Amino acid sequence: MKKVIIELKNVSLSYDDEPDVPIVDNISLQIYENEFITLLGPSGCGKTTTLRIIAGFQKPTQGQVIIDGKIFNDIPPYARPINTVFQRYALFPHLNVLGNVKIGLKNRPTSYLIDFFGGRDKIEELIKQDKINKGVAEDKIKKASYFEINKKVNQLIDEAAYNALKLVKLDGFENRKIEQMSGGQQQRVAIARAIINRPKILLLDEPLAALDLKLRQNMQYELKEMQRALGITFIFVTHDQEEAMTMSDRIVVMNNGIIQQLGTPEDIYNEPVNGFVANFIGETNIMRGKYLYENHISFLGAEFDCLGYKFEDGEDVDVVIRPEDWDVVPLENAKLIGEVTSCIFKGVHYEICAMFGEQEIMIHAYETPKVGDKIGLKVDPYEIHLMKVAREEPVSDQEGQDNLE
Amino acid sequence: MNNKFGRLAKPYIIWLYIFAVAPAIVMSFLIFTDMEGLDLANLKMTLDNFSQLGEKSTLIAFKNSFLLSVITTAISIVLGYLVAYKLFRSNFKNKFLILVILILPMWSNILLRTEALANIMESNNIVTTFLNKIFNSNITFPQLRGTYFSVVFGLVVTYVPFMIMPIYNSLEKIDRSVEEAALDLGLTEMQKFWKVILPMSSKGIITGSIMVFLPSLSGFAIPKILGSGNIVMIGNVIEELFNNMNYNIGSLLAMIILVVILFSITIVNKVDKEGEMLL
Ligand SMILES: Nc1ncnc2c1ncn2[C@@H]1O[C@H](COP(=O)(O)OP(=O)(O)O)[C@@H](O)[C@H]1O
Ligand SMILES: [Mg+2]
Repeated sequence: MKKVIIELKNVSLSYDDEPDVPIVDNISLQIYENEFITLLGPSGCGKTTTLRIIAGFQKPTQGQVIIDGKIFNDIPPYARPINTVFQRYALFPHLNVLGNVKIGLKNRPTSYLIDFFGGRDKIEELIKQDKINKGVAEDKIKKASYFEINKKVNQLIDEAAYNALKLVKLDGFENRKIEQMSGGQQQRVAIARAIINRPKILLLDEPLAALDLKLRQNMQYELKEMQRALGITFIFVTHDQEEAMTMSDRIVVMNNGIIQQLGTPEDIYNEPVNGFVANFIGETNIMRGKYLYENHISFLGAEFDCLGYKFEDGEDVDVVIRPEDWDVVPLENAKLIGEVTSCIFKGVHYEICAMFGEQEIMIHAYETPKVGDKIGLKVDPYEIHLMKVAREEPVSDQEGQDNLE
Repeated sequence: MNNKFGRLAKPYIIWLYIFAVAPAIVMSFLIFTDMEGLDLANLKMTLDNFSQLGEKSTLIAFKNSFLLSVITTAISIVLGYLVAYKLFRSNFKNKFLILVILILPMWSNILLRTEALANIMESNNIVTTFLNKIFNSNITFPQLRGTYFSVVFGLVVTYVPFMIMPIYNSLEKIDRSVEEAALDLGLTEMQKFWKVILPMSSKGIITGSIMVFLPSLSGFAIPKILGSGNIVMIGNVIEELFNNMNYNIGSLLAMIILVVILFSITIVNKVDKEGEMLL
């Protein structure tokens, strides 16, 4: 049984100027220890706002933020075991790299730091060791003074800063100015600055959005490694579904401040619960169909076998089929026959669009039919996904399309 | 520079040469000469003018100028920062309007404003006259005109808007998320101000300081009116010398001030490369 580290319970938020428009709408969510969870959704859907509620910059209008079983609603950010990597890094331009990384620990009270570095006894022991190494006879060593403890703590902060910078592969950059660092390097400084505080939860708000593709892919991998090595919970925010797919243990798909679906990347890709999720997570075809009877479905004028869905006999349903799940077959074996309207080379495969009556279908295949050709399709029963017909389908459907880019 | 703009700038550059550079060259020349008025026929080359710098009256004027300008700048930093910070933190929709209102007095005539202030600082002023007329009493104000206080007060009132503007601009440039980052990393509100906000607005403080310091240092109207002869600043000495047609020593003192000004402007240029704090 995995341990819940943070829980949002019916959290809602609306701003004073528009109290009736919830930015975050009744979100409930349990996040486990050491989990890499991603909030995924189009820009403006409330991802940053949700993070700000978790971090404590914004009080929810309703609901509770529970960390380790304790309600944290009224606890200020500095007292939460959470650190944030901000959307545009938010580094301190007047400090150098080392200064940025150290600022958190440096401004804590000494008593906090003594506990942070393992308690007074441990620090006194370290001071004693230093003296022994310097050649002071053991019986002559006096109890460490307040001044010596302070000095040792500062030394430990320095060490922690160098270690954090090493972890993000920025050793040697300690004395650089922030403005002299590239986007990718600034991003690493932001990460080092957060993890030096040993948070239990790290919030990352679109940390890779500003990086170019190659660097972004490297950082995806590195972040994932870092999360494993540190053993802390990452709450990651992105509007990029591919990024979410590659990095996350679980994904929370959001739209208009509402959680649309929560699940593993596979779940969300294969079993989208509604049109918005289906559209947002990769390209897909959604068609209106009729559930005939158990494991039988009809759409586009043909009848198909399907697997594992239970609806009323004769109920209208939405049928979801991913472009890569179609099988292109000779016309005589085909269940569906349509006319090709476009065929674009996409690197590995071709993206074919074809009209089947009124319905346009997208197909990923290795064949290269010409525009105007007839194309025959089949689909395996387990590739057919069914969703209940949503009432406001056209709205969310449209928004999903807009955000496919 | 683009050719077209280069040509457009010509009139101004010519203007600059005739009315700023040329006089400066003439003044640099006058420093080393001695003559009666502008009597070029009896012109003598000399270094005697520099001995004037050792004169007690000149030294006092320099001391007054620097001391009062520094005090004015310091007070303006504190007042200006408080006002700018308050405005930065406020939830007004139209902060620009507030800024304009703060700056509005700058657009009225400075002599008029200073004379009005001087009147209030007299023991018998417009207010006492008014009150005494109505109540048939004999109220007087303390006599402030002619004191250091009145001069500094006048300088601060006149020049503090030059401090508010750049500080406010530098504060507005601080991203909200930078402040949140400070809190996120465990800084208290106090620490956030001293360790993050203040250093990040230091550009504005430096720019503003020079904008207040320079006119305070070189001006002569405010000390003349509010100091009423008791407090002499270097601008008053220069004015006096030029009025008495003593152009040589006047030029020397004016050039010294000019050097200080140019030096300060280099600092502003270094600190605020894009000139972004001024507007
Ligand atoms: N201070 C605020 N006052 C009013 N509305 C805000 C405020 N901050 C954000 N919003 C609105 O909240 C919505 C969600 O914003 P945000 O959480 O930043 O979205 P995301 O991070 O998913 O792009 C947006 O429509 C935005 O306009
Ligand atoms: Mg955002």
